[in-house]
Amino acid sequence: MIIPVRCFSCGKVIGDKWEEFARRVAAGENPAAVLDDLGVTRYCCRRMLLSHVNLIDEVLRLYEERDRSTFKEG
Amino acid sequence: MPMEVKLLSLEGDTIRFLVKGCDTAFANALRRTMIAEVPTMAIDDLFIFDNSSVLPDEVIAHRVGLIPLKTDLDSYVLPERCECQSDLGCSLCRVVLTLDVEAGEESRTVYSGDLVSEDPAVVPVSPKIPIVKLAPGQALRFEAYARLGVGKDHAKWQPVSMCIYQNLADIGIDEDRCTGCGSCVDACRYGVLTLEDDKPRVVDIYSCLLCGSCVEVCPLKPPAIRQDVVEDAFIFKVESTGALPPERIVTEAVRVLLEKLDELEGKVKRGEMDEEIEPFKGLEEELGHAQT
Repeated sequence: MIIPVRCFSCGKVIGDKWEEFARRVAAGENPAAVLDDLGVTRYCCRRMLLSHVNLIDEVLRLYEERDRSTFKEG
Repeated sequence: MPMEVKLLSLEGDTIRFLVKGCDTAFANALRRTMIAEVPTMAIDDLFIFDNSSVLPDEVIAHRVGLIPLKTDLDSYVLPERCECQSDLGCSLCRVVLTLDVEAGEESRTVYSGDLVSEDPAVVPVSPKIPIVKLAPGQALRFEAYARLGVGKDHAKWQPVSMCIYQNLADIGIDEDRCTGCGSCVDACRYGVLTLEDDKPRVVDIYSCLLCGSCVEVCPLKPPAIRQDVVEDAFIFKVESTGALPPERIVTEAVRVLLEKLDELEGKVKRGEMDEEIEPFKGLEEELGHAQT
């Protein structure tokens, strides 16, 4: 749904690294290099960011589109 | 034998140090104390006034609880040791943080940095931890009570995200038989060995992970290099979550451990141990070493 605050296995805070990670990977950088750069060294923490899908963005679209749509109920 | 402690490195949130002259039981006691007994501050109670976000209240509460807070151990006491003994605590044993965010025309993320603390010293370690994302018009308002606690009660109070130790290595090279082929130097992935005057030399023994590759690749039979474990020396590596400086976690763990040993000593001296060990007496005889 949304990036977990901490790594499930070791408890390192990884939530604050998600936005930079997602932005840089989307810009074409190598995910491994970005993770090294962010100081995420253990594989338990690396999989947290690598395998994350930020579904909350998809959910929020329902609310955003509803407000913008010209379709009226009834 | 006197115990010897040597600082190996202190970089950012990670400390490495060597403890010499103790057994595994002591090293493990220190590790477990750092993980489970060193207090830190974390949000424990949440009063949610308004939550129209897509995440339910309990998920918000869980996420907010996991945010590490910079801890001021000298100004606050554990709630169970505080004189007030009240449910919500007093200014000595809790910090109130509030959050009031409403998304306007655009969706926005609520960050840990949006938390407003009554004590500027007790703030999230990072202001960029997302709590929830709000669609236009959605709002999140709550009051959070942060308290000191220990890791054995909940992992959110653990001051460390990594706390490990390993035995110190001892690498010996048989200089007379070594041909200086350098295969052990190439095999070591951790930069322990280097080739000097056509002979391997140990340059960084503290980085040795005891993998044994250097012995394995030696072409001589038996190998001209040996790798042993120093039984009474341990290398600790401790990574803080940011709640406390790593060196403070170590010193605080030692303090907690001494406190517990004092308590034990007091009980032994006052003769209160009998009732503590009473339930285990039959068990000892069964195992055949009943002498105390």
